[in-house]
Amino acid sequence: MANTIRLEVITPSRMFYRGNVELVVVRTATGEEGFMAGHVWSRKLIDIGPLRIREEGGSMKYAVIAGGYLDVSDTIIMIYTDAAEWDYEIDLALAVDQKAAAEKYLKEHRQLPDEDPNIVAVKKGLARSKARIHMAEKRDRRRNMN
Amino acid sequence: MAATNMADIRRRIKSVSSTEHITNAMKLVSAAKLRKARNNFDRTKEYFHYMTESISEIFYDAAAVPEKYLEGNREIVNTCFIIVTSERGLCGSFNANVIKQAEIEIEDDPNRSVLIAIGSKGKEYFEKRGKYIHSEYLMPPENITFSEMRKIANMVIDMYDEGTVDRVVLISTAFVNNLEQEVKSVQMLPFKVKAKEEYSMTDTHYIDTRSREVEYEPSVEEVFNYLIPKYVEILLYGSVLESATCEHAARRMAMESATDNAREMLSQLSLYYNRARQASITNEIIEVVSGSEAQNAEM
Repeated sequence: MANTIRLEVITPSRMFYRGNVELVVVRTATGEEGFMAGHVWSRKLIDIGPLRIREEGGSMKYAVIAGGYLDVSDTIIMIYTDAAEWDYEIDLALAVDQKAAAEKYLKEHRQLPDEDPNIVAVKKGLARSKARIHMAEKRDRRRNMN
Repeated sequence: MAATNMADIRRRIKSVSSTEHITNAMKLVSAAKLRKARNNFDRTKEYFHYMTESISEIFYDAAAVPEKYLEGNREIVNTCFIIVTSERGLCGSFNANVIKQAEIEIEDDPNRSVLIAIGSKGKEYFEKRGKYIHSEYLMPPENITFSEMRKIANMVIDMYDEGTVDRVVLISTAFVNNLEQEVKSVQMLPFKVKAKEEYSMTDTHYIDTRSREVEYEPSVEEVFNYLIPKYVEILLYGSVLESATCEHAARRMAMESATDNAREMLSQLSLYYNRARQASITNEIIEVVSGSEAQNAEM
């Protein structure tokens, strides 16, 4: 049996996840990275993207998180994120709509500079919608396989 | 004489009892709201605690923190006060306590201070006294969202970065229990970092961190540039939620004592009423008796 470590995923509105895990995978600045018990202490920023958790016993859990911060120590891995949702909570149709709306906005406001706060916000939203769609499609594929 | 007195008392009883109805209803409403706010607060408190602890642990590693956020790196000229009060009154001394504390701190500050008011009570008070309110947030605190708090937090950090303010102090109410709340004032920026010697040997946790090699990614600066606004946001959001909980608790208390007072008054008044009624009856009997006596005497 693999070693486990306590994982806590927190958002401003709820304790998203708390439990013992074998592995947690997030997207950091340099790409997707997995953390297991005994990892070197780290403090890293997380990008918008998927969160994959292998729980004690080997069952997998999937979620999408809106970027944040990760703190790894001996006893605990702490992930702080502004928003998180499980794959089964994602509304695919809604995500597709949001993605289209964001793309439309970016197209119409092409003249704005990249650092304009609206553009930054919309781009973030777009990245989240993409991550959601990706996650939802994977979820559906997994469902069809079973 | 007696009749008008009785009518007066009856009118007062009526008005006091309708006041009692209202305060009692308000008490029930705030009790329900308190429960809700309390739930919210308890849920977030746990992780706020964790988050602030984790952050202060990192700040302990002072070598890694960008200097400008540490205490003592620049002279404090202008201070920004964030004052958290309520939107509505009738909550006892809740707002007065916060305002009193704010007054003291602002007076201590000889230079121009920048005020940010969350909740209209504090805003109205300081506006009336000719203080300049830099910005305000006026919404029932139970409806506040994290993204709105983020706007305020970002503004504060921008001001700090630009050098418009050199210190940020948050004055709000801390929740002790349902019956007790106390005013707290927290310096949010710059951070006070304890020197290594100040940690006792029992804080092995901290010493442990110190001797560890920690991996930062993308870089120490970037991690901190992310964490600093987060820290301010979380502190602010947590305090507003806490203050909302306190407000409901204070209002419930105030309404409870108002109801009690009204009931006491009612029992007093009904005593007076009965006395007046008895007096008027006695009077009438005396009249009847003395009337008949007079007739008897004539015969």
